[in-house]
Amino acid sequence: MADVEERQKDMCPICKTDRYLSPDMKFLVNPECYHKMCESCVDRIYSLGPAPCPYPNCGKTLRKNRFKLQIFDDILVEKEIDIRNRILSIYNKIQDDFDDLQSYNSYLEEVEEMIFNLMNGIDIVNTETKLKQYKEENLQKIDLNNNNREKEFEDFKKREEFEKNLKIQKLQLERQIEIEEKQLNELAKKEILNKLTTSNDINQTISQVKASVLKKSSARRKQLKEIMTSLQNSNNPQQEQHQESSSSSIPFTPFNGDRELKQNFNKLSNYYDPFIDELKLKKDYIAAGWKSELVYERILNEAFIGIGCFIQDEKKNSILLSS
Amino acid sequence: MGLSAINKYSKAKKVGEGTYAVVFLGKQVQTGRDIAIKEIKTGQFKDGLDMSAIREVKYLQELMHINVIELVDVFSAEGNLNLVLEFLPADLEMIIKDREILFSPADVKSWLLMTLRGVHHCHRNFILHRDLKPNNLLLAPDGQLKIADFGLARSLGAPNEDLTSNVVTRWYRAPELLFGAKHYTEAVDLWAIGIIFAELMLRVPYLPGSDDLNQIDVTFQALGTPTEDNWPNVSSLPGYNDLKIYPEPSRQELRKRFIAATESALDLMSGLLQLNPAKRWDTEQALLSNYFGKELPVPTKPENLPKLTKKE
Repeated sequence: MADVEERQKDMCPICKTDRYLSPDMKFLVNPECYHKMCESCVDRIYSLGPAPCPYPNCGKTLRKNRFKLQIFDDILVEKEIDIRNRILSIYNKIQDDFDDLQSYNSYLEEVEEMIFNLMNGIDIVNTETKLKQYKEENLQKIDLNNNNREKEFEDFKKREEFEKNLKIQKLQLERQIEIEEKQLNELAKKEILNKLTTSNDINQTISQVKASVLKKSSARRKQLKEIMTSLQNSNNPQQEQHQESSSSSIPFTPFNGDRELKQNFNKLSNYYDPFIDELKLKKDYIAAGWKSELVYERILNEAFIGIGCFIQDEKKNSILLSS
Repeated sequence: MGLSAINKYSKAKKVGEGTYAVVFLGKQVQTGRDIAIKEIKTGQFKDGLDMSAIREVKYLQELMHINVIELVDVFSAEGNLNLVLEFLPADLEMIIKDREILFSPADVKSWLLMTLRGVHHCHRNFILHRDLKPNNLLLAPDGQLKIADFGLARSLGAPNEDLTSNVVTRWYRAPELLFGAKHYTEAVDLWAIGIIFAELMLRVPYLPGSDDLNQIDVTFQALGTPTEDNWPNVSSLPGYNDLKIYPEPSRQELRKRFIAATESALDLMSGLLQLNPAKRWDTEQALLSNYFGKELPVPTKPENLPKLTKKE
């Protein structure tokens, strides 16, 4: 019995193909009804557009672009995660948005209640209207919160990257120091031997060489220390940037101040123009978006476009600008 | 000009070669400014210069706008025509494809705003670009977006003049072009902007048809098949036959397709993606929409927009 169940789990209920025959088969589900079927069935049934779900007594109309890979083995879990994601992208307040813990908790309670209702098919109509209403009322706030969340994530990534780079630098430096120290020690030994053959005062020679070695290695250590401190202080490298971007001095205008509202002519509502009037009736002209108003607008514009332009002045100005 | 013009610019290295032009990187000697030199091959064309080179020079000379690529100079040397253009190291397609970069809604708004401003400038001078796509929206080092490649551009002529419908890269082609209309308007550019907007939000091409026929199918599957009701006289266009009928998508379906989009973003997008060109929004309508004017966040300043992470 268990064996049969096991086999069915790996079999597409629509075309009865199983994993034994096509090992790289994938199961997809559609959030409309969560009936699973294999990828090739989805391709076959829905590539021509929306069609009803092939499960008997389901009858939901499904679209191909909504199908997704089943991540969780348990279809109920899959459904709950979807609902949760959807609700939480709308009900996205955080604790800071509330005055006290009490109201935050009741807000969480409300959200969970809605998820439970949607999950278990209780009072779906009311819940959906409530959701829609909330979304419309809090549109800006929701966007803002979602943006904040995205931004936080971005900042986090940047910081991570920054710290990673510093750590790599630190490691490299440490290794370099190690190698150099070894070399220096060997050099020092050789130098002591060399000098001992010529000089008489043994102790003085040894201390002289040691001092010069110390001097060389201390420069590297200083560099290492700098990296260590910046690693510790790196908690918020983005802070300054944020303050900068929040203060914008110039108000926003869609045309960047570059829009001509004043025309040098007045358009009439009607012109006596048999040539254009004939074109106006042609069906393929109308269908392509051709409009007689646009034609008149253009012809008049082209006729008057130079009026109000003083080339001498413009030339002077452009010379001033370019110099 | 002749010799003196050659000495004004230095060529550093070749960066690309197309069918009719070679592009070099260089500097303006006097100012040290980075520039790109497009050298048009003249020898191989029996009938003189390639049409697109003439179009490019003709329209770029007329247009001067911060969101349109600047034609710095034109000179001829060794029998070749050279266009000196502003040097622009990146394009929007590279940014969209770079998976390392995260877009914020404010970034998308900023790019769309700059595109619309540039196209608004073209349209008020009655020039149709006819090849808008992310690949032709270049990005300056200071973040400004510049519309480039005017090789397919044209200005409107006599009111009854035929225009070819074989323009605009397939995925960005408006439905009236798919139907083979010959008297289309600026609206074809607005459709392309709508598709670019969708692509900026999805990070993948929105309507990637595999061939011209398939493009019709893909377009209407996503946006509904036009009928005489919502698009009067559409059946008189030459390509309108043998269509599969798809329903128009509901607002809810669009919301689900564009999860990150706000309501006014969707308003703008559906305005730009009106099947009927007569109902499609123009640049002024688009720029005056709530998406830019009223709704937060404000567009990112160009200098703060994401840049390419990888360098080739």
